[in-house]
Amino acid sequence: MLEIDDLTVTYGPVVALDQISFHVPEGSITAVLGANGAGKTTLVRTISGLVRPRSGSIRLGQRDITRLAPESIARLGIAHVPEGRGVLAELTVEENLRLGGLWRRDRADRQAAVAEAYQLFRPLAERRSFPAFTLSGGERQMLSIARALAARPQLLLLDEPSLGLASRVLTQIMARLKQLVVEHKLTVVLIEQNARSALSVADDAVVLSLGRVVAHDRARRLASEEGLRHAYLGF
Amino acid sequence: MQRFVVLTLNGLTEGSIYAAMALALVMIWRATQVVNFAQGAMAMFTTYLALFALERGASYWLAFAIALACGLLLGAVVERVLVRPVESAPPLNVVILTLGILLVLEALAPMLFGGQIRSFPAAFSIVGLRLGSLQIPLSPFDLFILASVLIMMGLLLLLFQRTDLGLRMRASAFNPEVSRLLGIRVSRMLTLGWALAALVGALAGLLIAPSLLLYPTYMDQVLVFGFTGAILGGLDSPPGAVIGGLAMGFSLSYVGGYLGSDLETVGALVILIAVLMVRPRGLFTLRAQREV
Repeated sequence: MLEIDDLTVTYGPVVALDQISFHVPEGSITAVLGANGAGKTTLVRTISGLVRPRSGSIRLGQRDITRLAPESIARLGIAHVPEGRGVLAELTVEENLRLGGLWRRDRADRQAAVAEAYQLFRPLAERRSFPAFTLSGGERQMLSIARALAARPQLLLLDEPSLGLASRVLTQIMARLKQLVVEHKLTVVLIEQNARSALSVADDAVVLSLGRVVAHDRARRLASEEGLRHAYLGF
Repeated sequence: MQRFVVLTLNGLTEGSIYAAMALALVMIWRATQVVNFAQGAMAMFTTYLALFALERGASYWLAFAIALACGLLLGAVVERVLVRPVESAPPLNVVILTLGILLVLEALAPMLFGGQIRSFPAAFSIVGLRLGSLQIPLSPFDLFILASVLIMMGLLLLLFQRTDLGLRMRASAFNPEVSRLLGIRVSRMLTLGWALAALVGALAGLLIAPSLLLYPTYMDQVLVFGFTGAILGGLDSPPGAVIGGLAMGFSLSYVGGYLGSDLETVGALVILIAVLMVRPRGLFTLRAQREV
């Protein structure tokens, strides 16, 4: 589904990602773990086209998306929930949600997707005509995720979704994502600092350290490797 | 009392034009955080194009439409060809670029159209309307000015608040990066924003030309007054720009009428300085809330 091959990203003299290669199978959740500065955010920003890699390639299915613009990549069905402030604070909750899939042609289905988002995230339905800056941090995070799902993506890139979310809400969202993964073959790349919770929902996990892949395995197996956990995951 | 009514109506008409100018500036500011100092000169240029068409036998309305269409085109071309290459440079570079465009257009106009002062026709009579035996200081052309500015603002409001395209444009202005992640072609939205702003400016240029007369720098003072109005409104609030522009119209009309018309420009400066001292963020800005 998503094939990362020999990807190198540099910021000036700093090497953020150093010849990364891994594969994300369709209909699965892959967690990308690692400490601060390991290159996790750079990785998803490169996948969605915001950062240009120095070398290597990214393929979505059969298609090479390495040099595409972010808006073209989004239109291929890759939705990126950026870390922190992804909502458009000046726009209303409803407008934010509508923007999610606005590039899609099917108008009726766009409306259906927005309605489903309200079903799933009840607190948003009560605030639909409020500007997003009136929302709490957790509600904004919800809105950001709901907006990405409203695009009915085939690949979802989640950057630190746990940030600011109550763990009960996070569990609820993850359960829903699991369901989409099983029923609609949604593929998820989940960036997390909180390795324990990420490993509990993910199928596979990639561990990054200083821009390199130091481990890539089934999530369950990684969680049981004590040495790795101590060295890179901090639990 | 009668003098006050005259000055108020005069202020309303001119204020609506300053409001249009302020709105054009705010549209570009919101999208690119740049004050387009060439906004007035671009409107001057399109008004000259209208005059050019009129002299070649076009009707007023055809010339009017030509100026508006050329405004759209000029705005798009300026953004695509001149602003785009310095887009990622510091905003000051773009501001200096717009000053350059201002100078070039004001140098080009006399070469192409002649530098002498020309008169520009009004769409309707500029003689005050009669109510029975009473003549009121509001002409059919003044009504046309008010109506066309109102209609244009109404259409913009519809576009921005009620259409998907407008939603995309607003999103692009607020956060280009997130907008691109949502599949919005932000660069097209920018071009469209500059085009629409230049259209609004072109309308202002056409409407004020009959009273100011047409010469290469005739829009400079309209730009200054519109800019002051935009600052009054906080520079990033379209309704603020409209209110600020109207406020400029009223205050300048009173300053000109009661203190002498030489003091109008000084009046604008005093207002600008006062606002910057008392409320540097303008009277209607949203910034404070956004930073929460």
